[in-house]
Amino acid sequence: MRYLPYILKHLRRSWIRTTSTVLAMSVCIFLFCTLRTFVEAVTWNLKSASATRLVTRHAVSLVFLLPIAYKERIAAVPGVRSVAMVNWFGGSRRPNDFTDFFPNLAVEAEPYLAMHPEFLLSEDQTRAFLADLRGCIVGRRTAERFGWRIGDTFQLESFIPYYRVGHPFEFVVRGIFDTDLARFPGTDTTAMFFHFKYLHEATGERIGVGTFVIEIADPDRAPAVSRAVDALFENSDAQTKTETEAAFRASFVSMAGNLALLLNSIAFAVTFTILLVTANTMSMAVRERRTEIAVLKTLGFPSSLVMGLILAESAFLGLLGGGVGVLLGREMIRALPDLPFIGDAVRGFPNLGLSPTIAFLGLGTSVALGLMAGLVPALLAYRARITDMLRQV
Amino acid sequence: MAVVEVQQLRKVYHRDSQEITVLDGIDLTVPEGEFVALMGPSGSGKTTLLNLVAGIDRPTSGRVTVAGTDLAALSESALARWRSRTIGFIFQFYNLIPVLTAVENVELPLLLANLTRKERRERALTALRVVGLADRSGHYPRQLSGGQEQRVAIARAIVTDPKVLVADEPTGDLDARSAEEILALMEALNRDFRKTIVMVTHDPRASQRAHTQKHLDKGVLTA
Repeated sequence: MRYLPYILKHLRRSWIRTTSTVLAMSVCIFLFCTLRTFVEAVTWNLKSASATRLVTRHAVSLVFLLPIAYKERIAAVPGVRSVAMVNWFGGSRRPNDFTDFFPNLAVEAEPYLAMHPEFLLSEDQTRAFLADLRGCIVGRRTAERFGWRIGDTFQLESFIPYYRVGHPFEFVVRGIFDTDLARFPGTDTTAMFFHFKYLHEATGERIGVGTFVIEIADPDRAPAVSRAVDALFENSDAQTKTETEAAFRASFVSMAGNLALLLNSIAFAVTFTILLVTANTMSMAVRERRTEIAVLKTLGFPSSLVMGLILAESAFLGLLGGGVGVLLGREMIRALPDLPFIGDAVRGFPNLGLSPTIAFLGLGTSVALGLMAGLVPALLAYRARITDMLRQV
Repeated sequence: MAVVEVQQLRKVYHRDSQEITVLDGIDLTVPEGEFVALMGPSGSGKTTLLNLVAGIDRPTSGRVTVAGTDLAALSESALARWRSRTIGFIFQFYNLIPVLTAVENVELPLLLANLTRKERRERALTALRVVGLADRSGHYPRQLSGGQEQRVAIARAIVTDPKVLVADEPTGDLDARSAEEILALMEALNRDFRKTIVMVTHDPRASQRAHTQKHLDKGVLTA
């Protein structure tokens, strides 16, 4: 601590250089935090995938629906405990306006809730939901976002042609579900679920099923059960593809997988560039202070202490940049949903916010960058002989 | 009692394949409380001898004993610790740290001592008082004249109460009046505080302030 004023005074010595380096570092850490948060948000949902759930969909694409009759045949496959029909509704409060978009799905309520213990709903609310065809349950985050309470009504209209019936669907909030993230990490509480039967009847019983969610008794038998289900419909018009819930979700984010690689590459390139910028700053700072280093050593400062002072100065520069970068990142991530275009894309991500882990990772990266940048100048100062440095003045 | 004892000291530099002998068999004894001036033309080895006595360079051969310590026996870190306690160094170009005030510059060597912030500050102010600059303690080097900067440098050299002061051309960068003031100050330190001083100079007026003059020529003490 006794050397801190000395370090700070040196950082103030060339304040333009220090400020520009801190700003460069902060931009780097800002990008790092923002990109990492984005990647986390994209892949976050994978954490909640259950090992005892499989998903069956059309083998060609999710766009095509499967016959409802498949349910009974799937339920008869050995190892299957229960089956629930689920259709992605894609509804929004105003037609084709996705600014307040949230996930909404038509589900076969009873089996679906039974196989999803992560959605915590009181018994009263569950009963009320099951008893009301227009009833729905809403995740806590979405309920808070729109100020919905039990008994409130709202309308949604889907952008999917199958589900467009000439008027919006009306729903009554019968339950608001929570989750326990400690027990069920990655669980989304932005979704809204309503009855598959309501959708089916409202569309004239013409629609099929988007996905069958299957609960199995033994997670180890997941591959065998998947194969058995798909074998049932091998020779039908609508062949199926069955996979674990984790694989199903991963297929959604496979594009995001490439995105993650791209974003990580950008973050790495920026970080490396900033390393060079900071290393240059530190080299210049140390070169300017050759006499000073010689004086310190002459006064009796051990070489290791001189090296430590340079490294501390460099790390402090990193910490300053990192701190500013993390703050910038936090504010930017908060503001993202309100930005035009980008806001529409990110609003659907649950839990979009700078996590403490990423913030600490950002700060750690900035300090590490600072230390790495100062390492070579510090080593040179450590090894330099007093007489040589005094002679070169 | 001798504070500085130099025996058969040789220093050889190698430049490419060429061997340059800077000091060649120097014997020198400086008694405690002595004020010695090392004189000689440029390149005669004065500064090299001073650096060896101050322990900031190592000899090729020979022995340097200062205040009872054989410098060859000390590791680099031990030598640094020894310098901080035993030697006060005064440079020709003052070499103050520009971002530190006068008192902070003087305090610098005390950072290595086990003192509180308050004790460090008190001692630094005392040293500044000795050199007559207590009223400029908050000034930065750029706000001081050359003579004042050198006096701050002297305060920095004496703040740890070292046994030996070594000065490399302390008046070489000063006008005549400032040089006189610095020499008077060094004389006072020698007389009043019994500091042993080894000073390199080629200014005859400066050397006259010393008790003893030693002449170096081509790496050999001639007188």
